[in-house]
Amino acid sequence: MLQLEDISVAFGGLAALSNVNLRVDNGEFVGLVGPNGAGKTTVFNVISGLVKPTAGNARFIAMDLLKQPIHARARAGIARTFQIPQPLHELTVRQNLIVAQKFGTGHSDPKRIDEILDFLGLTERAERNAANDLALTEHKALEVGKALATDPKLLLLDEALAGLETTGKRQFTQMIKQLHEETGLAIVIIEHDIETISELCQRAVVLDFGKVIADETPERIFRDPEVMRSYTGERSA
Amino acid sequence: MRANGILPAVAVIALYLLVPAALGHVDYVMSLIVAALTIGGIAVAWAMLGNLGGMVSFGHAAFFGVGAYVSALLTLDAGWPVFPAMLAGGAGAAIASVVTMPALRLRGPYFALSILAFAHIFRILATELESITRGAGGILSIPVLPTVAGFDLSSKIGSYYVILTIVLMAMAGYAWLRRSTVGLALLAMHDTEDATKVVGVPSTRLKAMMLALSAFITGVVGAFNAHQINFLDPDYAFSGLWTVLPIVAAIFGGYRTISGPLVGALVIYLVDQLVFKSFLPHGHEIILGALLVAMIVLSPTGLVPLVRQTVTLVRQTVTRGHHAAA
Repeated sequence: MLQLEDISVAFGGLAALSNVNLRVDNGEFVGLVGPNGAGKTTVFNVISGLVKPTAGNARFIAMDLLKQPIHARARAGIARTFQIPQPLHELTVRQNLIVAQKFGTGHSDPKRIDEILDFLGLTERAERNAANDLALTEHKALEVGKALATDPKLLLLDEALAGLETTGKRQFTQMIKQLHEETGLAIVIIEHDIETISELCQRAVVLDFGKVIADETPERIFRDPEVMRSYTGERSA
Repeated sequence: MRANGILPAVAVIALYLLVPAALGHVDYVMSLIVAALTIGGIAVAWAMLGNLGGMVSFGHAAFFGVGAYVSALLTLDAGWPVFPAMLAGGAGAAIASVVTMPALRLRGPYFALSILAFAHIFRILATELESITRGAGGILSIPVLPTVAGFDLSSKIGSYYVILTIVLMAMAGYAWLRRSTVGLALLAMHDTEDATKVVGVPSTRLKAMMLALSAFITGVVGAFNAHQINFLDPDYAFSGLWTVLPIVAAIFGGYRTISGPLVGALVIYLVDQLVFKSFLPHGHEIILGALLVAMIVLSPTGLVPLVRQTVTLVRQTVTRGHHAAA
């Protein structure tokens, strides 16, 4: 479904990604892991179009991804969330989803909006101002809601669980798991927590200093002492 | 909710029936009202671009002038009837806005300044392309507004009805657009452009659409003006006043509301011409400037929000008084 080939990104001479290869198949749940600054969010930014790579190719289904503007990628079925939630300003929660649905799918379906609100536990908050009147968990849920409203084929979750307390994290993990099981969506999640990755993902891709250093099942990844050293930031000299 | 619907309806009835009935025989006042509505029309288009498109333009004179020239030349040289030519004037201004679209990549003051430069370029073109525009000498004897069903629209009252209808239609379109999904996306784009793009909003296309729509309305108003005063020259059609006065009117009236720009135009232009000018024939605009500064300091959101807040306060005080008395 998604294929990144030798993607490199440089910011002012500093290499953020170097020859990154990433494949995501239909219905797959992939974890993108690595220490802070490894380039995980940059991979999402390349896929969603917010960052142009300096080299490499990217295909999504039959589309040459890098030639498409950001909004066309969303229309084609790529949805993402932001690590720091970005609710659409000046709009209510429901209006956030209405805009995402209308532009992401080209049609309006109020029933589907109600289903998404219900699934994310946001029905009670639907008419509230999305930017000012929500708690962090609700902001995180709205990020997922906006993505779902575009009726995606591939969902990119950028630290969707970060900042949540234990109970909230557990509920959110179950919600994402249920979403994957019920819809068969392909999902890539950036997440630091090993247990969560192990529970959710069929495969984990490890990034370090902008390079892919491992691409395996979570069990194998987290048994590899070299990968774990990188993952926890304890690099050998 | 019901009060919100009744007030605009009463205002529209008053504008169509009461104003001509009360002032229709006073030609001078009707001329001033028509001029105020002309400024109001541009102010609505300017505020729409700012509110929904997030763009501050210092160059709406460009669209006003293009609309005026296109309509005037189509009626004179191609024999077009006035109303279709006025719409073509609006379309011409919208097309002219396409030329300015590279400026959409710019933000804030850079966009505003580049549009100002375009207005200047259009004025020079109107002066230099003599074979088409008749150059600096201008265009005389532009056809007047027609007579429809025995009603002479070129009369003072007729012109009033035409420009009033143009402005109210622009406001109705603006209100509809603001409530639509496109309007919501445009509002959201101001502060969260990346977040709107990743859900599929083609932000540059929507901004271009807003600029073209704002230019179209301004162009139609410019075309109306050309057929109303029957004369045009580059300095008049592309005068900076067609940019400055609508901005002042919109800010004074409340540029974030639908009715604010029109209310602002009517208040500042009529008060200036009927009151300030009478006791300060030269330099009366200085009072207008002081009034605008006072409004920005005391109520930055403008006159319409100020009146709304005051009415709400009075209502609450009266209600409290009733409760206390009971």
